[in-house]
Amino acid sequence: MDTPRARVTKLSTAITRLGDEEAGMVDDWGRDPGLVRTVMHLARVRWDVSVGGDQHLPKRKGALIVVNTRRFALAPIFTAFAVSEAVDRPVRFVGRPDTAPIGAFSRRLGGLLDHPDEVAGALAAGQLLVMGADPDDRVGEVGRVDHALVGAALSAGVSVHPGATASSPLARSARVEIGAPSRQPRRRRGPLTELELADRVRLDIALLLEEFGNVRTGTPLDRLPLSGFGGA
Amino acid sequence: MQIGPPIRTTGSDAQEAQSGTGDLSTGTSSVHGMGGRRVFVSGVGGELGTLVASLLEAEDWVGALSGIDADPPRRRLHRTEFHRIHPDEHDRIVETVVDFDPHVLVHVGVWEPDARAAPHAAALLTDAAATSIIGAAAECPALEHLVVRSGIEIYGRARGALTRPAESAPVQPTSEWGRTVAAIERTAARVGERVGVTVGALRLAPVLGPHVPSPLGRLLRMPAVPFSVLADPPFAVIEDRDAARAFIAAARVGLAEPVNVVAPGAITALQAARRGRRIPVPLVGPDWRIARTLSHLLGAPIPDHVSETLHRGRLADNRLMRSLLGFQPESSTTEVIDRLYHWPSVIRQPARVQVA
Repeated sequence: MDTPRARVTKLSTAITRLGDEEAGMVDDWGRDPGLVRTVMHLARVRWDVSVGGDQHLPKRKGALIVVNTRRFALAPIFTAFAVSEAVDRPVRFVGRPDTAPIGAFSRRLGGLLDHPDEVAGALAAGQLLVMGADPDDRVGEVGRVDHALVGAALSAGVSVHPGATASSPLARSARVEIGAPSRQPRRRRGPLTELELADRVRLDIALLLEEFGNVRTGTPLDRLPLSGFGGA
Repeated sequence: MQIGPPIRTTGSDAQEAQSGTGDLSTGTSSVHGMGGRRVFVSGVGGELGTLVASLLEAEDWVGALSGIDADPPRRRLHRTEFHRIHPDEHDRIVETVVDFDPHVLVHVGVWEPDARAAPHAAALLTDAAATSIIGAAAECPALEHLVVRSGIEIYGRARGALTRPAESAPVQPTSEWGRTVAAIERTAARVGERVGVTVGALRLAPVLGPHVPSPLGRLLRMPAVPFSVLADPPFAVIEDRDAARAFIAAARVGLAEPVNVVAPGAITALQAARRGRRIPVPLVGPDWRIARTLSHLLGAPIPDHVSETLHRGRLADNRLMRSLLGFQPESSTTEVIDRLYHWPSVIRQPARVQVA
């Protein structure tokens, strides 16, 4: 039987590995590891995601990954699942609704509200989070990045990583590429920091999308999200 | 009217410290700078209050210790001077507290709805106790520090409320109990500002313990446990002993702000029912009205803050607890829930001699 000191030590050690998580329980944010594992298996039927750049993510600290999204592509969710498997850590996504049953189900999958305080709390507790930029259906374009959520990462003192995602509504193959942490263009003392960092992240995601390779044909086909390249 | 005389359980050391003749150079150290502090505990008759008093008795920085409640303490206290006074007896409360002139006041005297009193009565008793005791403390010239019991219900669970609010989250209670603890914090903060003392508030998760009257604990121990089939949200709890240790830490360090006191981990009602081998009863919408009535009839009323917990969840960020109090709960939420199902039920002993 554990001594009180041993128990305290055990409690103070945050779970950082997927294999350590106990099935049939929820964690401090209501994420259900058993359900997540099941849904991850089901998600493999829909997406075959290859992840690159995960070595940029911190091993134990928290970090915010900002990805490009397209309407109905569920990019933050499949990115969270794929990165979670790649780094063997629970990864949460930002942007769950707060109405049952969808909100409750999303919370079980690791969803958080898109509120700066919620994001800051999770990041400060050493969690990896994925948030989406505003949806943009144009190929290679990235929507606006919510500077308030980026500000939450700054206040929590964690890095913000750009992440490029590419998927297709018809094909299984999908890709996630995580970049090195985005740097603030210049030091500011006020809220301009988060605005400029959000713009910088947006730019970095666009650069990562460029690096995916360009299959633009110069025809209207480029607008169709069928290729699996150049957009979420 | 005094129901009974003050119980002076021991004499010399407590009285010496109270009269100022205690030896303050014995090497006892405390954050307050010296030993022999006079500590007053309100609500010392409740399970949590009794635990707090018994732990304070073992603290070397505590000199004289006094307590007040409408009911006697649940276990033997060796150094604590107990006064049995009803919360309505403002004059006697003020007289008792002012005579004692504490350096530290620990206010645990709150009534959770449907724990020991019906919601309306609980709110009245809590308000009466908070007003008289904290008000009386304001009249004490030696007062340096105030610790009050609050709850994480203070954050409320309105739509869009944070999943795991930190202490900086806005206070927006959405239940009667939440509004009650918010009022206690307001009263304490006003007194703190007016008389220039530090005020710490411990925002406790639902407190469970073998002898703690808790509506949530009672409900989870029923043979059949209702849960929201559409949400089944997570909640966290704290064991009574850990909560009491948090009060001691807060009094010792002179906590000057609100802190969430929550055991690590979380659990849902369905998971709790499964762990306790209870029958989970899935409910949706109007079924809850029937369940609440039935549960009330069976002796486990579901007050609005417990209903809110079962529908919207109840978690809170506990990082400040570790950094400000230097305190870590010994039991996780899951362990407390597991123990909840192993605590013995009330055993009714028939009278040896029938007198009627």
